Amino acid sequence: MGEQLKPAPGGSKLAYIPRIGWIKRIDPWWGLVLVVILLATLLVTAQADPFRNILIFVRDGILITIIVTISAFLIVLVLGLFGGLGRLSKNPFIRFPASLYIEVIRGIPLLVQLIWWYFAFPVVIQQVGEWLNIAALVGFRANPIVMAILGLAICYGAYMSEIYRAGIQSIPKGQMEASRSLGMSYFQSMRHVILPQAVRVILPPVGNEAIALLKDSSLVSVVAVADLTRRGREFMAVNFNPIEVWTMVALLYLIMTLLLARLVAWIEKRSHFER
Amino acid sequence: MAIIEIRNVHKFFDKVHALRGIDLSVDKGEVVVIIGPSGSGKSTLLRCVNRLEIYDKGHIIVDGNSLDNARNINIVRQEVGMVFQSFNLFSHLTVLDNLTLAQTVVRKRKKKEAQNIAMNLLKKVGIPDKADCHPIQLSGGQQQRVAIARALAMNPKIMLFDEPTSALDPEMIKEVLDVMLALASEGITMIVVSHEMGFARAAANRMILMDEGKIVEENTPDEFFKSTNKRTKLFLSKVLHMV
Repeated sequence: MGEQLKPAPGGSKLAYIPRIGWIKRIDPWWGLVLVVILLATLLVTAQADPFRNILIFVRDGILITIIVTISAFLIVLVLGLFGGLGRLSKNPFIRFPASLYIEVIRGIPLLVQLIWWYFAFPVVIQQVGEWLNIAALVGFRANPIVMAILGLAICYGAYMSEIYRAGIQSIPKGQMEASRSLGMSYFQSMRHVILPQAVRVILPPVGNEAIALLKDSSLVSVVAVADLTRRGREFMAVNFNPIEVWTMVALLYLIMTLLLARLVAWIEKRSHFER
Repeated sequence: MAIIEIRNVHKFFDKVHALRGIDLSVDKGEVVVIIGPSGSGKSTLLRCVNRLEIYDKGHIIVDGNSLDNARNINIVRQEVGMVFQSFNLFSHLTVLDNLTLAQTVVRKRKKKEAQNIAMNLLKKVGIPDKADCHPIQLSGGQQQRVAIARALAMNPKIMLFDEPTSALDPEMIKEVLDVMLALASEGITMIVVSHEMGFARAAANRMILMDEGKIVEENTPDEFFKSTNKRTKLFLSKVLHMV
């Protein structure tokens, strides 16, 4: 596994790069990021009406999109860990609920889940409140952003559980045996031996999920969250210029996903060197 | 006084009867070498002694702690070090961290103290200069010596060796056996599954031949190599192929 970590014979990678090209030393995908940002900047400066107006109008939506994505993703990381460990548990009372969660959530469209959490879940709480006579529950109102984050996190947590499970299973059995034979408990072994190695294995699919989550966060626009997509729709409802609005929105999403992809690549590269 | 008591132990893998009533007691400071064809249950027996394998019937008592249920499992494992055929070093940690991890997590030693113990052990197994390397950068023999040092860092009373040299190049076997010989002379209790007959002759107090989940013969090395038992003679003739 680590053979490729040794420096190539005859010097470092840089030796193969011709002298002319400092530009070639940069990850070429940064070029794409640059092109897309330039394109957006060009539109905004050369065609201030409507592109600059669109950008100013959807600015707070970008922030909401980022907040929703990051908060949901942090929950997903934790939820996935428990889901993955639960699915690997020898205890059927842990394994079964974990598997049920994954199977059920995986089988329902994300859009339907988001709508359920926003429109149905508060009513369930209110009715339980009436039934138990608890005033606080009867008056329950759903915060759209909280419900959206919850819905996204629970859905993506199911997929993430499977990624964690696969990552943990990819670590040779001997690692756990060696760790247990030294007197460490199951959880100590997981924490200090298995997970640090599994995390490196699952980084690419986890990064993939992060990017997918960022894009799917646009679905929260249907449940009263004023994210980038919803703000775009609001702008269009007033000015009715679909080509400009949706091109701008698409470019903004693209800039965010491309930057996120570079971040993932950077983390991957860094964790690779640590081995 | 027996430090390991194994009484009538049976083990099934699904329908395969891997251990068929093993009785064995090992005294403190004794070095026992177990040989036998593959599939004879010798590794399984060894793994039962620290409950990496759960036996289905019988009793094992290690230093007064019963292993029949999981209750004493971590107490016993702290006292029983194990060395594996495939080394199983923690590949994400440096050699030094491999040696200090369980010390700090299980024995609750201070980091500095654990590192001192680790460095002393690395000196003992002859590779103190590799402390900051990752396992992948070491040869097989060096990795196995680190694995031995890692087990010793927990101050075990008993060391189990599961074919420690089978995955090594011939030239590296000696460096590992030398470390094991030194250990044997220090009076630590050892059970070794190995076909290194040179080591057995030099270090073993007792030799055991297992076949089909049973102990076929149990004897001192001198008597064992002169055995008149048909099965023992047949097996020895194959292991000592130069004879």
